[in-house]
Amino acid sequence: MAELPPKIKILKGAEPDLSAATYQIHDESHTVGNALRWMLMKNPKVEFCGYSVPHPSEPHINVRIQMYDNLSSLQALLTALNDLDDLCVTIEDEYKKSLRTDQYERWDEKS
Amino acid sequence: MATSSRHASSSKLPESVYNPRRHVGVHAEWVSDVSSTDYPGHYPNEDHSWNLEKFKKNLQVKVQRLSQRSIEFDLVGVDASIANAFRRILIAEVPTIAIEHVYVWNNTSVIHDEVLAQRLGLIPFNIDPALVEYRTPTGFNAQPNDRNTLVFRLAVTCERVKNTKKDVKPSEQYINEYVKSGDLVWVPQGEQESVFASNPPAPTNKEIVLAKLRPGQEIDMELHAIKGVGKEHAKWSPVATASYRLHPLIILNPEKPIPPHLAKKFASCFSPGVVTIDKDGEVTIDERNMRKDSVSREVLRHKEFEGSVQLRRIRDWFIFNVESEGPYAPERLFLESIKVMRDKIATIKAAAEGLMASADAEPNLANADGDVEMGEA
Amino acid sequence: MNSAPGTNNPSNPAGTQHFAPPVRQEMEYLCADCGAKNEIRSREPIRCRECGHRIMYKKRTKRMVQFEAR
Repeated sequence: MAELPPKIKILKGAEPDLSAATYQIHDESHTVGNALRWMLMKNPKVEFCGYSVPHPSEPHINVRIQMYDNLSSLQALLTALNDLDDLCVTIEDEYKKSLRTDQYERWDEKS
Repeated sequence: MATSSRHASSSKLPESVYNPRRHVGVHAEWVSDVSSTDYPGHYPNEDHSWNLEKFKKNLQVKVQRLSQRSIEFDLVGVDASIANAFRRILIAEVPTIAIEHVYVWNNTSVIHDEVLAQRLGLIPFNIDPALVEYRTPTGFNAQPNDRNTLVFRLAVTCERVKNTKKDVKPSEQYINEYVKSGDLVWVPQGEQESVFASNPPAPTNKEIVLAKLRPGQEIDMELHAIKGVGKEHAKWSPVATASYRLHPLIILNPEKPIPPHLAKKFASCFSPGVVTIDKDGEVTIDERNMRKDSVSREVLRHKEFEGSVQLRRIRDWFIFNVESEGPYAPERLFLESIKVMRDKIATIKAAAEGLMASADAEPNLANADGDVEMGEA
Repeated sequence: MNSAPGTNNPSNPAGTQHFAPPVRQEMEYLCADCGAKNEIRSREPIRCRECGHRIMYKKRTKRMVQFEAR
């Protein structure tokens, strides 16, 4: 049994201060890649962010982050993950609220 | 916006849907303004950075229809990347239970073992996946046990009904002419008897025909069901469909109204109920029914309506339609997808924090050995 | 499964087992027409003793067969 690859690794060519780096996230796809890219792009300190699925049969994504002012891209990644989690909680609460309090059509669906 | 005031009176939709920044243009043979622009730096002197309070204020989730099998709800105020993440998770990453291993003792029916095994895999079960663990390549769950495997038995023999005439219909001549999903018998293992006592494992639909038999033919097999996700094999997908569409928007041009004699033709270019014609033949759009439009673009094919109407969609208004097929009630599915998303975020966050800790310990991480060395893209 | 099935006869007293020729179990075939059990012997025509049909099917294995439900 081969050793499990790390969840995240920093690919070669990153700036030593991590102001620009490519993170390879294992066992993830467009699902997380695109959402994370969007949240990183919402950060004004991020100069550039993009992601790719290098090969459709390999289960990992590459997320490229470049920062302004030599800030840490790793910090930006963590911030984006926290914000994404807040977003999920907000949607969950709002959905539960609608399910509980809204008036919606109930119907009988034949299978 | 010039178009706003006209709609204010009968408006059921909020005024803000007429903000052109939220619109995707739908034209005869192309679409325009597909990408979102709400990023910092896109518009000068505007703040588009992430702001949770703003997001909370803007977000709107509204359940529209609910049945025992499906749900329709609106998710307004999020980017496509977020809505799409939930849609993808619903299809591919919310776990369910399905048959994976088939042990055939006997099968003298006309359906081949392989084909029958494949059909068995696709049967949806009512088993709550939270009560079952994943099989893993190593460790305790590498072997089947009562925590990770459910056993079913399928033993059916077809016989002739005694003392019936030859000319009655087949269902009266034979016993077990059809092998149905309801013929699966759950065989509790270990502590499963008590764990699943309140809801004994069974197919959600007992009427799925698995095979057809004739007298003397027999099927005898043992089936092992395990937990899995749709990205491994579609049999583990908890949904029949999980899709969204963008809310349609139809904007009439007050400069070029539809002449009364063309009103009927105009209305027939849209889905029923979208266009209303008053007694003078004047055409208006019913805002509440706008969501029903299929945006077929039929209206754009007719020269006489050129310039009278614009077709659009609202980029951040997602109308989700989710049909459950399996153990989850339809209203629970979206919550499960959020749970999966949050689990994924937590896993990545833990890994990123680990990286952060090692980067603090060794500032030149990016040029160091170890993880980075093997990272040839 | 590595031992040849059908050759072991546990009722044989120990010791004689080595010398006794393997008990040849006659292969049974099923008639394609009437389903009757038949034996096929060399130099004899393949023909159902019940109905005279000339097509026979081999019986399905009694061993368990495993499949992936995919």
